[in-house]
Amino acid sequence: MALVTKQILDTPIQHHFSPYSDNGGTTVAVAGPDYAIIASDTRLSAGYSIYTREQSKLFTLSETTVLGSSGCWCDILSLTRIIEARMQMYLHEHNKVMSTTSLAKMISIMMYGKRFFPYYTSTIIAGLDPEGKGCVYSYDPIGHTERANFRAGGSSGALLQALLDNQLGFKNQENVDKTPVSLEKAITVVKDAFTAAAERDIYTGDGVHLCAITKDGIKEFNFELRKD
Amino acid sequence: MFLTRSEYDRGVNTFSPEGRLFQVEYAIEAIKLGSTAIGISTSEGVVLAAEKRITSVLMEPSSIKKIVEIDKHIGCAASGLIADSRILTDRARVECANHWFTYDEKMDIESVAQAVSNLAIQFGDSDEESAMSRPFGVAMLFAGMDSKGPQLFHLDPSGTYTQFDAKAIGSGSEGAQQSLQEVYHDSMTLKEAINHVLTILKQVMEEKLNSTNVELCTVSPDKMYHLYSKEELEAELAKVSSIHDPSRPDVAVIGEP
Repeated sequence: MALVTKQILDTPIQHHFSPYSDNGGTTVAVAGPDYAIIASDTRLSAGYSIYTREQSKLFTLSETTVLGSSGCWCDILSLTRIIEARMQMYLHEHNKVMSTTSLAKMISIMMYGKRFFPYYTSTIIAGLDPEGKGCVYSYDPIGHTERANFRAGGSSGALLQALLDNQLGFKNQENVDKTPVSLEKAITVVKDAFTAAAERDIYTGDGVHLCAITKDGIKEFNFELRKD
Repeated sequence: MFLTRSEYDRGVNTFSPEGRLFQVEYAIEAIKLGSTAIGISTSEGVVLAAEKRITSVLMEPSSIKKIVEIDKHIGCAASGLIADSRILTDRARVECANHWFTYDEKMDIESVAQAVSNLAIQFGDSDEESAMSRPFGVAMLFAGMDSKGPQLFHLDPSGTYTQFDAKAIGSGSEGAQQSLQEVYHDSMTLKEAINHVLTILKQVMEEKLNSTNVELCTVSPDKMYHLYSKEELEAELAKVSSIHDPSRPDVAVIGEP
């Protein structure tokens, strides 16, 4: 008996703290001259199980800005709620709605503020800047940010970014007209991107929720993806 | 208990039975001892001018600063206890820098006035939460360009801030405000406004107006905050003196055909 007790005491006990989970999901955003679109798939999963097939990962923050985020779902909820609170405080303090560019900087600072216990998210925001031009900002979990014309993030981010580079950035194409694509064309490319991702990535599928942001407001679209 | 008026003078946050805060009112009186400062907001930008009292020939005039930069797009003129104004301008600068850092945009003038007024009312006897034991004895004019265009805000020791088209503070403010009301119109150019502030300052100042006893700044879309140098100021003063010079009828009065 004494031997057993001694053995237990001598064996190092490993303690686990795993506050993060990866709930998958993919976000794609495109900025045009006078529009921005952002889309996410609607599958929420953990490993081989699917929590739901109809959870959009888009958050409309203002008339001109939509945020899309994938990764640890509880962190996404926490992050977006704090962003919404900060935007409300800004509205009351400065009597105006926070612009997409200001929001972009604020999110970066909020994320870096949790540098040593980060929000485990791949976040993208899309919207119109104060000049009315489309803009897309992407973030890593600790707030590194960059303004881009198109960006894919989440479980299929790496897969789709290359596709967007070719289709929207006209990379590795010869004798091609490099004028920015129209809103309709951009939506088509994004739809195709999600269809492609759903074929290869088990964390992406079920459906797509898409928001098109123009000076006339935000239009929403939904379409189906394969569900296996 | 017998209460004299002085009983209410002791606590800075004690209301009198008539509902007045004497210390705040006295602080506002302190402004009226200060040197005059004037601001005019036009569609082309905002102008600030302030009198400097040079009390001795041995005094170095450039060491007196009545107009300071808050940010690239905001200037500030103060009247009253200038030592107090430094605490408030420091706060305004910190708020502007923080706002730019957090939101990647210039802070609105109204938001700056709001932020500074929050500090201005943090006076009281308690050690906690008070920034100051008494009200700040200074009035300020914030002039700047923001998303809403040219803006002029006035802040007083009670923490009240108000937007103005034209405003005068300090010892000559009563007469200057009257003059501003007479000359102000919506279509005033920045050049006209510069002339008006200097002319009015000249009228209310006891000393003769010269390039060492006045400060002038403009905030305009192209130059943003710009404090006039001695040479630039002399050029503007030359125009002002010519307006009232009867020996030179060929020089037209600016703003009139």
